[in-house]
Formats: sequence, C-alpha cells, structure tokens
Amino acid sequence: MPETVLSLKNASVFQRENLILSDVNVTVEKGEFVYLIGKTGTGKSSFMKTLYGDLPLTKGEGNIVGYDLPTLKENDIPFLRRKLGVVFQDFKLLNDRTVKNNLLFVLNATGWKDKAAMDTRIDAVLDKVAMKTKSFKYPYQLSGGEQQRVAIARALLNDPELILADEPTGNLDPQTSVEVMEVLQEINKNGNTILMATHDYALLLKYPSKTLKCDENQIFEVVQKTV
Amino acid sequence: MEVIYNNFERLIVSTSQIQKSLYFCAGNQLQSMASSFEKYQKRRLISSYFSVVISISLVLFLLGLLGLLVLNTKKVADHFKEKIALTVYLKDTAKEVEITQLKQSLALAEYTKTAEYISKEQAAEEHSATIGENFMEFLGYNPLQNSIDVYLLADYVSPEKLEEITTELISKNFVDEVVYDKPLIALLNDNVKKISLWVLIISSLFTFIAVLLINSSIRLSVYAKRFTIKTMQMVGATKRFIRRPFIWKSVKLGMLGAVLAMIGMALVLYYLNKTFPQLQLLQDKVMIGALFAFIFLMGLFITWLSTYFATQRFLNLRTDELYY
Ligand SMILES: Nc1ncnc2c1ncn2[C@@H]1O[C@H](COP(=O)(O)OP(=O)(O)O)[C@@H](O)[C@H]1O
Ligand SMILES: [Mg+2]
Repeated sequence: MPETVLSLKNASVFQRENLILSDVNVTVEKGEFVYLIGKTGTGKSSFMKTLYGDLPLTKGEGNIVGYDLPTLKENDIPFLRRKLGVVFQDFKLLNDRTVKNNLLFVLNATGWKDKAAMDTRIDAVLDKVAMKTKSFKYPYQLSGGEQQRVAIARALLNDPELILADEPTGNLDPQTSVEVMEVLQEINKNGNTILMATHDYALLLKYPSKTLKCDENQIFEVVQKTV
Repeated sequence: MEVIYNNFERLIVSTSQIQKSLYFCAGNQLQSMASSFEKYQKRRLISSYFSVVISISLVLFLLGLLGLLVLNTKKVADHFKEKIALTVYLKDTAKEVEITQLKQSLALAEYTKTAEYISKEQAAEEHSATIGENFMEFLGYNPLQNSIDVYLLADYVSPEKLEEITTELISKNFVDEVVYDKPLIALLNDNVKKISLWVLIISSLFTFIAVLLINSSIRLSVYAKRFTIKTMQMVGATKRFIRRPFIWKSVKLGMLGAVLAMIGMALVLYYLNKTFPQLQLLQDKVMIGALFAFIFLMGLFITWLSTYFATQRFLNLRTDELYY
C-alpha cells in the first residue's frame, strides 16, 4: 500500500481574507513527482506556503508528512519544515556565509551534533547536485543554476519526506533549467517525493509526470495531452 | 568600443601568449572583485556595529555620570546631616552610675555616630569663652547642666526618627530635656527630598532615553538581517535557535560599549578627584564598584532585551509581511 505524504480535502487557501483557492482535493504518494502548473497569480505559491506553514489552513482538512495542517501550532512549524525540503524560485541562500556554512547552519539548526557525520552528510548532498568542489564559495560567487543546486542540496540534508519546489527554474535560462530539472529527476529516482510548481510548460513536455493545474480558484489533475 | 574589441580579437588570434595573459588578467579581476565585495560587506558590518557600540557607550557613560551625581548628592547631604547634634540635658540629681550607663548605651546605640559627655563645668568654660566674661562670678553659681552631645548617623536624621529617639531618652527620670534644631532638620530633609526626587526623575528619563536609543540602533541592525531571519525559519530553525546568535552578538557589543563607558567614567572620576580632592570622590569604594557593576549590567540587559524583541518581531511575521 502506497504511503500518502500529502492529502488535502476540501481545503481553501487564503491570502489574508482573500480566497485564492477553494475545494482543493490533492493527494501525493511517496515516490511521486508531481507538477503544479498554472499561470502567474493563480495561487501556486500560496498553495505551497500553506503546505509549509507560512499561511494557515483555516478551512478544510489537510495532512502533510504526518502533520495536521488545520491544527498546526506555531511551535510545530520548524519541525514540520525539517520533514520537508523547500526550494524557492529566488534560492534563498544565506549570503553572509559560504555554501558549506549554509548547509552547516541547517544541520546545526536541526539538531545535528556529530561534526564528522555533518561533514559526511554535506559532502553527500553536494555530491548529489554536483557542487562538491564549490563548497567554499559564497552564494554571490555562484551562477543562478549553481545556487539553485546548492538550495536543492540544502533541501536534501534531512532526508525530507516531501520536497516542495516553488518555481525552482523560474529565475534560470532554459538550458540551466534543464540542468536543475535533471538534478530533481535524479533525486526523484532515488526515492524522494517532489511537488514542483512551475509555469514552464517546456519542462513538462520534456519530463512528463503527474500534473495538477491551478486555474480559476481550483486545483485539478490534468492528463499530459490536454495541457 | 567595437574597434578596441576587434583589435583585441586580432591580437588574440595572432599570439596565443597574449591570449593567455589576457585570460589571466580577467581572472585576476574577477577574483579581486569578489574579495572587494567581501571587504565592502565586512566594512558595512563593522560600521553598523560601530554605531551600536558608540550609542551604547555614550548613553551608559552619561548614565554613569548621573549615577556618580546621585551617589555624591547623598554624600554631601549626609555630610551636613552628621553635623547636627542632639543634646541630652541631665538633671543635677542624676547619679554617677546612671550617667555612665547612659553614656555607654548612647555610644553603642545604632543611630549614634559619636557621643560626647560635657560636664557643667566644661560647658560653663566654653560659654564664658564665647561671651567673653565669666558669668558665674556675678551669678555666684553655675546654672548650666551636665549634658551629652549625640551626633547621629545621617540615615537617622529625620524628624520622625529624632522624635522617636527623643521620647525614648526623655522617659528616663534623670534626663531633664532633649534638644535639637527642629526647623533646621525639617528644612534639610525637605531639600534633600526635593533634590533626590529631581535626580531620580532625571535619571529615569535618562535611562528611558538610553533604552530607546540603544533599542533603535539594535533594531536597525536586526532589520538589515530580516530576510536572513526568514530564510533561517524556512529551513526548520526554531525561533530560539535563530535568536541566540543575534543576542550573543549584541550582548558582546553591549559589553564592549559598557567597558568603554566605564573607562570614560574612571577617567572623569580620576580627574575630578585630582581637581577636587576635598570631595573625597573615591572614598566609598563599594558604592563606586556597585555603580560600575550597574552600568555593565545595564549594557547587558538593554542589549539583550532589545535584541530579543527586535528579532522576535521578524520571527513572528509571515514572509510576505516583510514587504508590507
Ligand atoms: N501577500 C499577499 N497578500 C495578499 N494577496 C496576495 C499576497 N501574495 C499573493 N497574493 C495574491 O494571491 C494570488 C496568488 O498569488 P501567488 O500564490 O503568488 O500565485 P503564483 O505563485 O501562482 O504566481 C494573486 O492574485 C496575488 O495577488
Ligand atoms: Mg509563485
């Protein structure tokens, strides 16, 4: 029986008091690669934010990696995020420290103590995104594609049950997008579950997978051909 | 531009050596750009720390000076208070033993600074000396009484305390009268109260301004890091974990500021003491030590508290709210 990492029932997504999405019914099973597509402003980011606790779920049911979203407490949010890996369009690396220290920060923040184990882990995730040789660089010394790969490595640190990627290729040129996409595909093959928001339909065609569409305040599953 | 570029191209095509050196130059430039950016960042950081440290040390320094003033108002007031004597007149019928006993108990009383027995003969001598003639000659007897002059400790020189002491003494049957300058003591206490009140008001106002000033410069430096704080939250760091380094950094700045303020205070004390040795500014080492400790703790406390609230403010915001 497949394990469900994300399930929403009749959920609504709000930005303040504005209803952005309503009647959302979504399930994501372990190991899946799911796209969330839709034009800009249709609510993809708001949906993602609700999933990682940056927006409250006030209407409907929702469970993500074992956390009940409607009853999620402020104090639980950091622990929910440790079971998720979040990747952003604008990378969100800490610019005041090197790649390695960016990753070390996450490990320290999430309770790792053993220095040797931390180093091993950092090497392992940087290896997965082919950034091992640049761990001493500052984020601003890296290209966009490289920064995004570091961000993906960061998301992988704590073996997340679900990776949420909000337009991870949105700031990248088509060729670099494909590079980053290859990394995500590779990670997915190794067993990680990924939910990726994008408006880049070219990627969808190149790497077909289960697709959800955001449109007119609704989220519904679409079959590739009708995209 | 085009022409220059073309020239470069021709050169590169013609000699591979120049090509190599060109690459070398470009690489160098890139590297120096990165490091100058780092330097710029570091400079910016240092200058923002600098303003925090300066405002902390200035404000604490002024607060410390005010503290010195408070300490010394009390000292000056105490100096005057301890000059006031309470005179206990004894009946002529008082027995030798009773007088000795009273002398002893007065000397040991908690409110006494010094107590001095003055016999009627001594008193007459002094009195004659002041008026310039021997009044006993034409009176034929000594009308004065034996007495004890009690100089009180400053803390007991208040109308209420003196009243208490008087009633206690007068209840002894060999004590004739207890006399002190009532109006003077009332006036003295009144003035000391007034001055203390004003010093207190000014001190609290000053402390308030100190907190505001330090708070705003710390908030500014935390504000500069608001996106970093948000990013840290996104990767699963708890509020406590994020706050800790911010607080540690500010507390270090606070300590540095406090130390600078204390150095300033020490210099001021040194020069004042050298210029006005009669004030005996350095006499009360414990109080001065306490004042220095207070200034240091204020430095810690204010920075700790402001950083706590400044970081908490951003920790409690949702990501979007950073832009509002
Ligand atoms: N912070 C905000 N406050 C109010 N409305 C917002 C906020 N952020 C986004 N919205 C609104 O929510 C809708 C969905 O935005 P968003 O989730 O960013 O869409 P997408 O990620 O698909 O481009 C938009 O109509 C936008 O105007
Ligand atoms: Mg978006």
